[in-house]
Amino acid sequence: MRSLADITRARRRAGSEGTTPQAPTPAAPGAEGGAIDQPDAQAALSVRNLSTEFRTPTGVVHAVRNVSFDLRPTERLGVVGESGSGKSALALSILGLIDPPGQVAGGEIVLGGRDIARLSDRQMCAVRGKEIALVLQDPMSALDPVKTIGSQIIEAIAVHEPDMRRSAARRRAAELLREVDISQAERRLDDYPHQYSGGMRQRVAIAIAIANNPRVLIADEPTTALDVTTQAQVLTLLDRLVEEYRAAVILITHNLGIVSEFCDSVAVMYAGRFVETSGCDHIFLRPTHPYSEALLKCVPNPERLAEGPLPAITGFPPDLSRLPSGCSFAPRCPIGRERERCHEETPEPHSVDGPAGAAVVECHFAEERVGGALA
Amino acid sequence: MSAATSTGTPPAGPAAGERPILQAEHLSKSFKVRSESRFGRKQSVTVLDDISLQVRRGECFGLVGESGCGKSTLARCLLRLHEPSAGRTLFDGVDLASLDRDELRAIRRRMQFVFQDPYASLDPRMSAGAIVEEPLEVHGIGDGRERQRRMLEMLADVGLTAEQARRRPHAFSGGQRQRIGIARAFVLRPDVVILDEPISALDVSVQAQVLNLLRRLQEQLGLTYVFISHDLAVAEYFCDRVAVLYLGQVMELADRETLFRAPLHPYSISLLTAVPVPRAGGRSRRAGRAQLIGEVGSVGERPPGCPFEPRCPVGHGREICRGQRPALTEPSTGHSVACHFPGEMQINHAGAGAHA
Repeated sequence: MRSLADITRARRRAGSEGTTPQAPTPAAPGAEGGAIDQPDAQAALSVRNLSTEFRTPTGVVHAVRNVSFDLRPTERLGVVGESGSGKSALALSILGLIDPPGQVAGGEIVLGGRDIARLSDRQMCAVRGKEIALVLQDPMSALDPVKTIGSQIIEAIAVHEPDMRRSAARRRAAELLREVDISQAERRLDDYPHQYSGGMRQRVAIAIAIANNPRVLIADEPTTALDVTTQAQVLTLLDRLVEEYRAAVILITHNLGIVSEFCDSVAVMYAGRFVETSGCDHIFLRPTHPYSEALLKCVPNPERLAEGPLPAITGFPPDLSRLPSGCSFAPRCPIGRERERCHEETPEPHSVDGPAGAAVVECHFAEERVGGALA
Repeated sequence: MSAATSTGTPPAGPAAGERPILQAEHLSKSFKVRSESRFGRKQSVTVLDDISLQVRRGECFGLVGESGCGKSTLARCLLRLHEPSAGRTLFDGVDLASLDRDELRAIRRRMQFVFQDPYASLDPRMSAGAIVEEPLEVHGIGDGRERQRRMLEMLADVGLTAEQARRRPHAFSGGQRQRIGIARAFVLRPDVVILDEPISALDVSVQAQVLNLLRRLQEQLGLTYVFISHDLAVAEYFCDRVAVLYLGQVMELADRETLFRAPLHPYSISLLTAVPVPRAGGRSRRAGRAQLIGEVGSVGERPPGCPFEPRCPVGHGREICRGQRPALTEPSTGHSVACHFPGEMQINHAGAGAHA
């Protein structure tokens, strides 16, 4: 059942290419243009043709391949995919945290008008935690167990504001704890991480992430380690904070439910590539790439119990150091497995119009699939 | 059946004349832990508190709840992997506490466990074949040739080849490892298998493969499953009857249809509505939902009344909920609930319900 608000949102998105710059839109290309073009000046973050590879003794592992997208201010992009699809490598590439033998092999990462892919490690330290912040899956390992919560928040502030007095930083830390709904914040600054519950630790990690008012917040599976009721609370907290701080969010997750309930747009990652980028309403109504559709269909749905076994995806994702020619999904693809073109020619990202907006898809036969809705 | 006292008949009984395969009667389990101070006295923490339930032959019985609710402890007590502190467990009508070591060992062949983490539960130094064959050796079944045959047959059943039987766990993917774990549990042809979060560590596409495999094996071998999960959507898809646990107590127990369409306990409803659903219109759907306050309590600080009272949208602050533990009652046949105000909270079908 779709509410009026949903339909309005979907309409707005459908007409958003170029008309309403505030509305979140999938990736960069104008619907008319087709190919990915220049970085978008209005975007909070603009990534073009990003590739990251790891040189290993057994070959070069292509973890991120030719990824391009734009993130508008306050847009929430969900990145989904199976383990090994390159989600975390993408996040680390944007943060400049790829260590040898890995390297960002090409592309641009434009943040606030400059290409941060070209910054030195030292320059990047001023960007990380300030303009881009990261929230990780496991708040216990993200926090130092032998330092108080307060000193860890103060440290995050002090790195980027070395002139701030300690008493002022402490006041700011207490304010941040209150922001993330931790009661008796002043007193709890002196607690250690083990005195906090899992949900509270994740709130602290979020407090540290927003401490310097970042433009972009990257959250890598931020609720996976939490109980569902706590997860709902943390998502609501993120809702409020990204509104308040006007931060754009990249949410990395394997949980499609969280994407649909938190994000504006979604990028489906397969074998290092963004195979589909589109608005949430679009993808959950009409996934355009065969892999997106397959992924959505394997989520257990009690309403389809009678239809027999779950439609699992056959085979395995490809080895990223021995990629097949053509489309990486072709060997497993229900529509491309038999088609010569899919095995020979790598599909380029192009825009496809659907009933609920445009999607950027890497599939030779995307157009012929737009008609078919996900039952 | 009352959870506070101990009278009445256990709820959700089996069809007349059929003996349940597994039965818990007023089962409690406490662990001794040292209090915060190193020199403090040992304290007893009650993890399971007076649980009574029955698992019918051939069904898939779900145990769901958040971390610390006692799902895994209950499953372990059911197989007497943990010694219950009070109450008893019956397997096929036999009180497990009455058995001596040898008898227990013999009966254990009929009950098996599949663990969550396929990386930690397999010995990295053994080949897949040896891992699957080991239970047959332990129970002295067949000779070497026979065991080998059954091992290969079982591996083929879960989709692994004879060539793969020679490889060690590191050579397999997460999904394949879980298949080895399943083969090891099923090779003894057990009657009951406890599946403790068997797919939680797997990718969604692999989850589907493993769920399909488990369902096929259940049909083929006529097994009974106890399925432990924190994922309600998966439980709804996979289980016939489901018990919702909170801080070591059964909050609600019903068949799938009833529990997911017409839940009565505020906790079941809150849990159901907290699950994000991958469908269009998600943002507005989530905005329209009520949300629980606080986090799961600790078994060490169990409130005197209803364990859920501090977070309950219905009962928070109500005197009876704070002071008196609600008994597990059966408002309709096969549907039990432990709540002073069952049904007072309505499930919002427009915005909630895992698949409403």
